[in-house]
Amino acid sequence: MATWIPADSPIMVEVSEPMALLGPLLKPEFGKSVTTALGNGNPKLQQFGTVVAALELQLGTDWRTGLSRLAGKGLSFCVDSSGATLLAADGEDEKLLSKLNDIIWQFASSGADQQDHPETTASHDYRGVKMWTIGTNEVHALLGPRLLLGNRASFLNKVLDQRADAGGKTLASSALFNAAREAVGKEAVASIFLNLQTLRETPGLKKALAEDGNPLAALLLADTKAALRNASWLALGVYVNGDKLVLRTYTDGAAPAATKWTSFSTPPGTGAGLLPPLTVPGTIASLSLCRDLHAFYAAKDALFPERTSGLIFFENMMGIFFSGMDLTEGVLSEVRPEVRVVVAKQQYDPDVGTPATQMPAFAAVLRLKDPQRFGETVEEAWQKAIGLANFTRGQQALPGLIIDKANQDGVKYTISYYRPPTDKSSGTIDARYNFRPSLARPGDYVILSSTDALARDLIEAVKQAPSTPAKTSPAANSLMEVEGPALSAILEANREQMVRKNMIDKGDSREKAESDIQVLLAALGHLDHATLTLRREAGRPQAELEIRFQ
Amino acid sequence: MKPDPNDPAWAWAPFKPDAARPWDLRLAAHLYRRAAFGGTWPELQRALTEGPQATIDRLARPAPEAADFNRLYDDYENAAAASAGYGSQAWWLRRMIESPQPLQEQVTLFWHNHFGISNVHVKSNASLCRHTHVLRQHGLGVFEALLDAVLAQPAVWICLGAGANGKRSLWDSSVRILMDRYTLGPGRCSDSDVREGARALSGWIVSQGELRFVPGEYDAKSKKILGQEGDLDRKGLVRILAKHPATSQWLAQRLVRWFVSDTAKPSDSLLAPLARQLTGEGNIAKGVEMLLRSNLFFSTEAYRQKVRSPVELALGIIRPLEGRTGTVQLAADLARLGQELYEPPTIQGWAGGLAWLNPLTTLGRAKLAEALLAVSGAYGGKLDPAGVVRRHGGAAKDGGSQFLIDLYLQGDLTPETLGALEAGPSAAGAKGPGSADPRHIAARLASLPEFQLA
Repeated sequence: MATWIPADSPIMVEVSEPMALLGPLLKPEFGKSVTTALGNGNPKLQQFGTVVAALELQLGTDWRTGLSRLAGKGLSFCVDSSGATLLAADGEDEKLLSKLNDIIWQFASSGADQQDHPETTASHDYRGVKMWTIGTNEVHALLGPRLLLGNRASFLNKVLDQRADAGGKTLASSALFNAAREAVGKEAVASIFLNLQTLRETPGLKKALAEDGNPLAALLLADTKAALRNASWLALGVYVNGDKLVLRTYTDGAAPAATKWTSFSTPPGTGAGLLPPLTVPGTIASLSLCRDLHAFYAAKDALFPERTSGLIFFENMMGIFFSGMDLTEGVLSEVRPEVRVVVAKQQYDPDVGTPATQMPAFAAVLRLKDPQRFGETVEEAWQKAIGLANFTRGQQALPGLIIDKANQDGVKYTISYYRPPTDKSSGTIDARYNFRPSLARPGDYVILSSTDALARDLIEAVKQAPSTPAKTSPAANSLMEVEGPALSAILEANREQMVRKNMIDKGDSREKAESDIQVLLAALGHLDHATLTLRREAGRPQAELEIRFQ
Repeated sequence: MKPDPNDPAWAWAPFKPDAARPWDLRLAAHLYRRAAFGGTWPELQRALTEGPQATIDRLARPAPEAADFNRLYDDYENAAAASAGYGSQAWWLRRMIESPQPLQEQVTLFWHNHFGISNVHVKSNASLCRHTHVLRQHGLGVFEALLDAVLAQPAVWICLGAGANGKRSLWDSSVRILMDRYTLGPGRCSDSDVREGARALSGWIVSQGELRFVPGEYDAKSKKILGQEGDLDRKGLVRILAKHPATSQWLAQRLVRWFVSDTAKPSDSLLAPLARQLTGEGNIAKGVEMLLRSNLFFSTEAYRQKVRSPVELALGIIRPLEGRTGTVQLAADLARLGQELYEPPTIQGWAGGLAWLNPLTTLGRAKLAEALLAVSGAYGGKLDPAGVVRRHGGAAKDGGSQFLIDLYLQGDLTPETLGALEAGPSAAGAKGPGSADPRHIAARLASLPEFQLA
């Protein structure tokens, strides 16, 4: 298909094996769960089912087989420089395609006649090919078993011109497109090509790639944005690997070597590096990063030059907590580059109650270079933070936290908690009961957790987890794992809150909001496990998302 | 009787349509704008059939489903108020859009403005949420009960700067606001009344977000307030203030400004009949009903004599189109236009009237109309003017232009404006009624100066 597409088209999607990609979605059980989620009595669903059944009857095939025969050999979608779109579907059954076209055409024509607007449907020949238009934003043509469907006749005309007069500049002869294709490889079942030379000028992407001064984004994305600012193209390959779907990005852009961008996110090769993510009972997501926080903050004037009020507040607070120590040289220099974050479902104490909004527990796990020397400084800073929070809440006449010490398997740790509510008559308790901030220091680790239960679990987890980087992915600097069932469970626990949020965010009726959330939960129910890895390959950033379905 | 808006007998007599003032679409829409944030086409048609007094009966009478509706929305608001952000304000806006008793929401908004309690000082969505529930619950009842319930709210004490009112630290300024703004009106009490009132309120403190009474801090000695003497406590003070004739006069004036005209300066004699309805055996509902039924309300002194507040503007776009939109975004947009629910700028509420309009807010209002009616964007194209036009047969004539003009402006367009609209696209690029897209037509109409007037 690329041989027909103008070379300046900035977006091209190719699906070489549609049925392999759509396989999980075409399974009867998936359809059944979505149907259940939408509600069997849903009028739109029933209407859709009636139309599909009528088409199956007239075409003499079930819809799954029909789809395979009409599009099983490939799908392509492209956007040209003016924003016009074109979809090409390659099948194996020219007669079936022709029959489907006849049915749709008859239906559209009679509908237009009934509405007294016969002019909205028309057909004409162009370069020997018959083209049909239905309404103002649809045009299509059949070329044997290939369907071409676009939103503007001018773009389809261009494609047909290219087909008739081979030799013009097309994507197939574009060096950028071919480089992207080669990077993605032939084993990909689908690929997306983005011409960044063109797309980078669009306001949305321009803004997204700009240095926006957000420290957290700079820390997490490291050199990715800098690389994309230098890139000519970005490609995504989609691969099916057994029961896993793998999505991997490729680009020709590289961040300048050994700069402010790479200095803090490159595994330094001194024994430090990306540690395996930590897991505890009820883990929803676990993140492992390799970030030299000292190098990161030392380069802050270059990485996020804008002195925002938030940044100034952060530095002031850190100055108070760490008794005036220099944040970069005195504090962050004491922290090793292995940073891990864990998010987990929490169990609520029945004697306290369950908040209406159930937030997952979360914790950051850091490693200190010299825990003997710096450990108590961290403890002191943490207790000051809790004290300041208590003082501020007291000023607002709000209840404060009570600090206590506890012991887990020989590790003394500090917890803080709110007094249990005296009035539980309403059935639910305040959202503050999602938090029992805790600090633990097992070995050279520091665990900062939103709950004591997660802190305890992590004390056990760090004991058992390896403390050296995995050698299998030396180039990786970020790894995130998401557990589908746990994610579904926490969302399910907050179903009512999500429905209500949907109602006021989108203005939907309660029924519509419930249906939307049900579909989301049903779809998430098929997710088993997902892993996102950021790495640097040959100096270029690469992201890989691996999804396993249930 | 000869029409005379300054004559109490004529002004407060129930409006009876005649040849000079026929009951037509203009007056039906006027009633719905003021009492219900705007009417749908079926509501306006039903009002035309039923006549003004029967329509007011329906608007003022609690709808059978209102109690269940309010219970459900109280729950929604309470839950959302537990978090920061615009959640509970968004639920209130949605309640205004969907309420089976919109007059109750209009009156709740009136009291929110009257008491001027702001979350800038209270810093608790939950407290403000409870405060508005009290305003809703008592807003159409007896004023003494409303005042008593309002003064039992910690949010009110915090906002008045009277968080701890022991006998050794009396806050005269809080009591001054209570007397000058909430009850008697400006200049009706002496410094001595204020000091004695502060003693009556001694002993009440806000602690841990709750209003508590500390008996040891209460000044139990005799007090003399507005000529009445005795061991007057909070309830005694509330009783004296609520029943004082100046209070009913002040409330009558505030209600006339809210429901009739931004610029009205009614005389005491004109206000007297309404004031009588608001106190004694009467209640606020009867006063509001009397006001809505009156010749004064349907007079030229009232018609289009109010600048729509941002809330009234947005709901005036949304409600006639029988739809709803995301209200979190709406709450934020209304804040940018100067009306942040839960945050009146001062204890005197929003200045209202022409203060709503300046070059920035005028542009902002047009942008809001455009965004609400856009096919996509922040509001997701949820409003469907084309569907409303289709449902009510408005498309047959001219593609819906005239229908939307009738729905939104009831023909209140100067020939110049109408001509400019029919001429086509505006300088800003928006299409005029001549264009086929009802979204563009509705947005253009809602941006007109005429639409800014309620």
